[in-house]
Amino acid sequence: MSDDTYDDFALHVAFGGSRATVAVRGEVDLLTAPALAGVLNSLVDAGCDHLVVDLAGCRFMDASGLSVFVGVAARMRKPDGTVAVRSASAFIRQILDITHVGDFIVYEASEVSDTSSSSLGPERQVGGDLGAGAGRAADVIPASSRALVRSSTDVIDAALRLVTALAEATVENADGVSVTLERHGRLMTAAATNDKVLTMDKHQYETGEGPCLDAKAEGRWYYIESLDDETRWPNFVPLALGQGIHSILSSPLLANDRPQGALNIYSSKQGAFGTHEQELAALLAEQASEILTTAGPEMTDQQTNERFVGALTERRTIHQAQGVIMARNNLTDDDAIKSLFRAARAAGVTVLAYATDLVASSNSDGQRE
Amino acid sequence: MRPIWLRHPTPTASENRTPVDAVIDPLEQARRGLQMSLSDLWWRYFSIGGMSSELEVEAIMYRALVPSESDRDFLAVALNERFSELGGDHPIPYSGDDETQLE
Repeated sequence: MSDDTYDDFALHVAFGGSRATVAVRGEVDLLTAPALAGVLNSLVDAGCDHLVVDLAGCRFMDASGLSVFVGVAARMRKPDGTVAVRSASAFIRQILDITHVGDFIVYEASEVSDTSSSSLGPERQVGGDLGAGAGRAADVIPASSRALVRSSTDVIDAALRLVTALAEATVENADGVSVTLERHGRLMTAAATNDKVLTMDKHQYETGEGPCLDAKAEGRWYYIESLDDETRWPNFVPLALGQGIHSILSSPLLANDRPQGALNIYSSKQGAFGTHEQELAALLAEQASEILTTAGPEMTDQQTNERFVGALTERRTIHQAQGVIMARNNLTDDDAIKSLFRAARAAGVTVLAYATDLVASSNSDGQRE
Repeated sequence: MRPIWLRHPTPTASENRTPVDAVIDPLEQARRGLQMSLSDLWWRYFSIGGMSSELEVEAIMYRALVPSESDRDFLAVALNERFSELGGDHPIPYSGDDETQLE
């Protein structure tokens, strides 16, 4: 059976400028997803700004296919880059929406010519302006660096929502799944499948205790078979029981081998999770860890913004110094910056320090005159 | 000032592994010797006025992209300033170092 699906599977790539259309035939599953990922990722790396995945010939797509879209959207670092899906069947579109993978891809009508990228006609251009975090700095920053903001929380959260949705659907007796992460130096819920688990997480943050916190802190998993007999976490347990939760499975999420958070599965049943469910949870926690590792050290939009503002201030000073050198020595901008680099090296100070002094001295010159 | 020796690239971090080590730029050798992440290098490079994206910088390091003379100098400065912090003395040359006298 799986042989058939593999034989049937085919990809066709058509290029048009910075736009490429990949037509998929057959089924996208665990077996074929790596091939699709390989092709899409290479196209992105090759500088393709607009990827269209034509699913007209695609009959079926499972979670591994979804993760391809998550991966390629995260990899698309151009601020104006788009990942579009064309001719998705109602079924595929539904799973893209349920898992929120659809949040950062564009849906395209089936009859669009490959060459007219202006006629993309997305029904929704989702993900919004992911570069907005850079705020006022946006127009001075080289376009591609704005992608740093894009690669941070939005894409990660969407990918984590996918994992929690998968966990809820696949782990038997799961009544809700959440992902706890440390951000801004404190714990928060990055993804939750319903409000009840959100509340459960919150109870743990507020009481400062619970399996999710310990799983994160110690980097090991906690399976609480029955909260009714639980003596650890005396403040949290009554709150959980009050919500009708009787067992919890918390698996640590590691990024670069450091615990960053936890995947929490809650159930209203006692002894809800057997060996199979525990293995599944471990597998999903591994996937979530992979997402965090790939995303790299996470920076909040605010941190990124602050870093940009700092960097832009430095750039401005250096640029001013460059201008002073150009005027004083009648040099081109290229020669002026080289001269600045050499002067700083000769003086044994940083370029910024040298530039700051130079600008300050030029200002006082101006005042004297 | 004590000299800083470039360490041989450690194969432990995935960032430091590449199937074709032969094509890496001396700038990349320096980055590895400094154990500086590509991201840190880019931020320094960007702060002093570099205009290429992190991905482009990565391409330069692997010689997949040829930088302009000044772009290369920006990277050299970014690395040299890290060397300086560790007590080194600007080991990476700037463009035109061989023909021009240092002032």
